[in-house]
Amino acid sequence: MNAPADATGCTLGEVMIAALARTIRDGSLVFHGFGSPLVQLAMHVAKRTHAPHMVLVAGATYAVDPRPPFIPPTSNDWVLDRGAEAALDIEELFDLAASGRMGRMFLSGVQIDRWGNTNVTRLGEGATMKKLPGGGGGGNLSCDVEAITLWTGAHRAREDRHGRRQFRLVERCDFVTNVGHRTADGRTRTELGYRGGGPDWLVSDLGLFDFGAAGAMRLRGLYPDTSVDDVVMNTGFEPMLIGDLATIEMPDAEVVAIIRALDPLRVHERELRTEDRNRRFPLGSAAPTGPSPVGVGS
Amino acid sequence: MTGVYTATDKMVDLPTLAAQVRDGDGVAVGGGLSSREPMAVLREIIRRGVRDLRVVGSAHGIDIDLLCGGGAVGATAESYVGFEQDFGAAPNYRRACESGTVAVEDSSCYTIVQQLRAAIEGLPFMPIRSARGTGFPSLHPEYKTMTCPFTGEELLLVPALAPDIAILHAQYGDAHGNLRIEGPPVADLLFARASRNVVASVERLVSTDELAALGGPNVPYFYVSAVAEVPFGAHPTACYPFYAYDRPHTALYHEAASAGAEAFDMRYLRPFVFEPADHDAYLGRVGGAATQARLASWADGTDTWLRLYDEAIV
Repeated sequence: MNAPADATGCTLGEVMIAALARTIRDGSLVFHGFGSPLVQLAMHVAKRTHAPHMVLVAGATYAVDPRPPFIPPTSNDWVLDRGAEAALDIEELFDLAASGRMGRMFLSGVQIDRWGNTNVTRLGEGATMKKLPGGGGGGNLSCDVEAITLWTGAHRAREDRHGRRQFRLVERCDFVTNVGHRTADGRTRTELGYRGGGPDWLVSDLGLFDFGAAGAMRLRGLYPDTSVDDVVMNTGFEPMLIGDLATIEMPDAEVVAIIRALDPLRVHERELRTEDRNRRFPLGSAAPTGPSPVGVGS
Repeated sequence: MTGVYTATDKMVDLPTLAAQVRDGDGVAVGGGLSSREPMAVLREIIRRGVRDLRVVGSAHGIDIDLLCGGGAVGATAESYVGFEQDFGAAPNYRRACESGTVAVEDSSCYTIVQQLRAAIEGLPFMPIRSARGTGFPSLHPEYKTMTCPFTGEELLLVPALAPDIAILHAQYGDAHGNLRIEGPPVADLLFARASRNVVASVERLVSTDELAALGGPNVPYFYVSAVAEVPFGAHPTACYPFYAYDRPHTALYHEAASAGAEAFDMRYLRPFVFEPADHDAYLGRVGGAATQARLASWADGTDTWLRLYDEAIV
């Protein structure tokens, strides 16, 4: 098992979990998909701190308000539905979103564009196409759910073997698996008549973003160890910059204790690269209050 | 009458059950991700050299990847095939999709749910509001749009989907074909109702009275044409309460698959699919009684359950 940070500090994963948790409003029905341990933990943190009345629906098991003893590395496991008050089946879960009962869902992508479209289906096409695992129910949920939090632990662009930067935040997705605020052909959510409002936050390893009135991504917050330059250099489009950038709130000791107790295998760190796993931050003093990850109005 | 199976005794052996799956069939594989997938039946299908299956489902993993690695798949309309944070991408699935041997017809969970529901209800299609604006309609020219006559809004129409055969693995079943699935059913109950035929392996074959005492079936017998008792039939995926997911075996699988098609053939297909004469021989190859005891130890408490996932123990 990986060693977590000492008791006086916290890790990037823990800060991201706390930021994701703060996007959750108390009293809403919230769902995470499979393959998303940062989000699983964020939902349990929210439920145990500022959002005790949230309806927590776990991905893959569709368990309602479970109390898992720990987070395993796969999502469809009886570990994750222990202590649940109820369980849904697949049609009931997706019906909840289609009928407007689901308040928030979390989505990620191997590509994320400025409008919050995400791609987990394929990179490129034809003979050089790279197949990605696929999006589960995101193609439906991104349209139907009231609000979406996007996240990625791999914003920092890597170079391929030709020295070209491989962006996670791209100008244009090669395939739109999950819709954001504007489709590939330029149509808006209003024109398409979706039930949900689309992504309102993106939590990345470099910063925190929201989406302006026209639906374009805006930088809102930074980590103590990242800068505007880091964000600009690692983003495939020009992110909108507005004034008053905040420093992302650090989790307090209680939140960090919840995470460490629930994730002794440090499964959530598998969403992060080695260099990012080693980032350390001081603990914060405030418990999450929601619904804003930077503590300013949304 | 299609899809009503009334024989009193549907018990067969594993090869007979797997022989119902034919080249070109539309197949719904039960379970999901690392849980309750009908792996013994899938290994038998590969041994039989079945080709060109058109697979459909929600979130899957080693089941579809193995079928791809064994050359049994012609097209995929799964919504996800991978190993999540545990091992990442599905290597055989990815190779098959990228080389063009498997046609990529990815779908999305609720789209599939609605298509299955249309089949279950005997309707030609179901409408959905979602998925318009995504890339999925470009992979599915069969989808249509319409203007809702009541509200005037645009809706996406997705056609009924009745798989030729659903292959399920249930905890319990009886000789008549009644099945009891415990824990998350994933899409199995929809698959059973929508498919033209259902075949199932079960961990424990019990009498109809015993099944009733366990809580009764959630798949009634008349959907099901054949049942085989195959203990550890979901291995290396989990089938609680009997056994947890075999992470070390899955690590071995993923390493072999990641090393290329030839390596996968040598290091996995031969030793674990083609060479074992039957399911018992397979169980011997994967560690026999010691492995079975280890995977059953989840029930001893949180500490032993946790240890089954520890990366350091492979």
